[in-house]
Amino acid sequence: MIVSKSEIHAFFKRCQAEGLGGFQQVIVPRRSMVQPRDLFFTALNDKVEMVLESYRTVDPLRALFYFPRERILGGDVPKVKRLVVGAKACDLRGLQVLDKALINAEFVDPCYAAWRRNTTIVTVDCAEIGVSCHCNLVGGKPYAEEGFDLNLTALDVDYYHLSVGSAKGEELLALIQSATTITKASPEEKRLVSENRQAAVRKLQIQNAGLERGENYERLKKADIRIWIEEAQTCCGCGGCTNICPTCYCIILNDETTGKEFIKDKSWDSCQVNGYARVAGGATPRPKMFERFRNRYLCKFVNMPANFGLLGCTGCGRCIDVCAGKIKFTEVIKNVMEAKQVQETEHV
Amino acid sequence: MSKNPYQVIPATIYEIIEESPTIRTLRLRPERPIEFRTGQFVELTIPGIGEGPFTPSSSHYVKDVMDITIMKTGFVTEHVHKARVGDVVGLRGPYGTCYPLEKFKGRDVLIMGGGVGMAPTRSLFLTLLHDLDDYRSITFLAGARTPADMIYKYQIDEWRRIPKVKFLRSVDKVPEGESWDEEVCLVTKLLNKINIDPHDNPVVVCGPPVMMKFGTFDLLKYGYAPRDIYLSMEKKMYCGIGHCRHCVIGKYYACKDGPVFTYEVIKDEENIWE
Ligand code: SF4
Ligand code: SF4
Repeated sequence: MIVSKSEIHAFFKRCQAEGLGGFQQVIVPRRSMVQPRDLFFTALNDKVEMVLESYRTVDPLRALFYFPRERILGGDVPKVKRLVVGAKACDLRGLQVLDKALINAEFVDPCYAAWRRNTTIVTVDCAEIGVSCHCNLVGGKPYAEEGFDLNLTALDVDYYHLSVGSAKGEELLALIQSATTITKASPEEKRLVSENRQAAVRKLQIQNAGLERGENYERLKKADIRIWIEEAQTCCGCGGCTNICPTCYCIILNDETTGKEFIKDKSWDSCQVNGYARVAGGATPRPKMFERFRNRYLCKFVNMPANFGLLGCTGCGRCIDVCAGKIKFTEVIKNVMEAKQVQETEHV
Repeated sequence: MSKNPYQVIPATIYEIIEESPTIRTLRLRPERPIEFRTGQFVELTIPGIGEGPFTPSSSHYVKDVMDITIMKTGFVTEHVHKARVGDVVGLRGPYGTCYPLEKFKGRDVLIMGGGVGMAPTRSLFLTLLHDLDDYRSITFLAGARTPADMIYKYQIDEWRRIPKVKFLRSVDKVPEGESWDEEVCLVTKLLNKINIDPHDNPVVVCGPPVMMKFGTFDLLKYGYAPRDIYLSMEKKMYCGIGHCRHCVIGKYYACKDGPVFTYEVIKDEENIWE
């Protein structure tokens, strides 16, 4: 299906202004005023100019579903009905990891589940590639193929190709149809979709040429520990990389009970900080910085795949942009995977 | 909608037993019974302070009350030790895996508990006693640093009178002014005092990390197979429901895949003893 950009942009604005579709909030990426290269999610209003076709925001999509601090017991379950427009394929993959971790047969995080339930997600293909983007190295694509409610691919300056990916997407489409003119895509337009997508893939391949490293991530675990010590040298343990990661979900719990009712808050934690997972008596699982540094890579590439059948890295590259130690995540992986392997794992 | 996994059940402390200078047993009466299987753990909240994972030390056949034995080791447990009879705490759970009692049936069961690690193993022990006919024998090796640190002293005579039960105790040392007429050695060395066929018989170990580590090595030397050694990886759990990742041991979560693991399952993961 084809829809004009100006019409659908106007539609999103009406969702915010008039509450079309019952949406109470429409969230879109906008440019940073200080650093125009950077995009941030923001609540749409008259003054906000949405930037839909660029690469991912600085803040992970996760942060709209898993807040830095949130009342998990003794508060109200979130009820705001939201529309997020301009999410990227890599971030959608992040949510797939969180879905497996936080909404499963055994236990459901009530807040995360509610935000997921009440939010409709419109993804938009990446026409531009960020300097640290490397989704192509983790089997990703700069466009979403599943998991979205609605997806938009820019055909040219004036039109989007639109596809539906879920029941929520169907509902939204019906609404869009009532407010805009939607036409059927011609074979020519379909060809344009795949051409534009291929163009973005090529940009990624060129940008990341030389960083390919295969998929045998067990090598990260078995690598000689000295390579990790070396790679972690400039890591100061600030935890920026875990805060900004689309799949990190470690939390600490705070008991806020004062009266009769039990109250608990959850807040983001980081395996990069020394106090992480400290147990009674003071012991921590990884007292040395390089152990914690290494843990993040093993978590993403070895443990999460074992737990969820999905890589914990979506290739968004945020951890590269944020790093205080100027560490290039992609280079670390390559260096370690190419390093000497040792047999025993009890070397730390 | 599914229920909030963080929901707690208020429980009133109806008795406190001071087990040692640093260990006490809270006897709790939850608002509604919490059904658990021995080996599983619960999260105990001290209101306004925080919570921690603890394995009940009572039998899983006892439903309306629960004993939890707790050592003073950190912030939350310090407040546990300030609690008084009549105080209300919060409980949620049970979580994790239990001891596979089915597999213990008809076997000689060996239990090794060190320090406060005797707490979860007492739960197992009391549960086994309930169905004593189902097991060939039960041997409990209990260890503590000093005689004063030995917990459940007031029950030992009663336990030793039970047929098919053997209960050996050791302390690491006897400080001046304390008396002790049982063994003085590391609890793992009590293995030299028993005579159990390690073949196809289960052994359960719980205690401080060093004891778990060397206990396991000694048991392997004694002839136990890794699949018959059950370890309670107690202290790592945090949220209890696999949502915080704190207790991850390689590809396992101590809270969901454990706390009861066989050595066979976790032996190849990194840093399991830390
Ligand atoms: S990593 Fe890939 S999907 Fe994510 S923003 Fe960059 S190009 Fe788009
Ligand atoms: S952002 Fe960089 S310096 Fe900070 S913890 Fe992560 S790797 Fe280390």
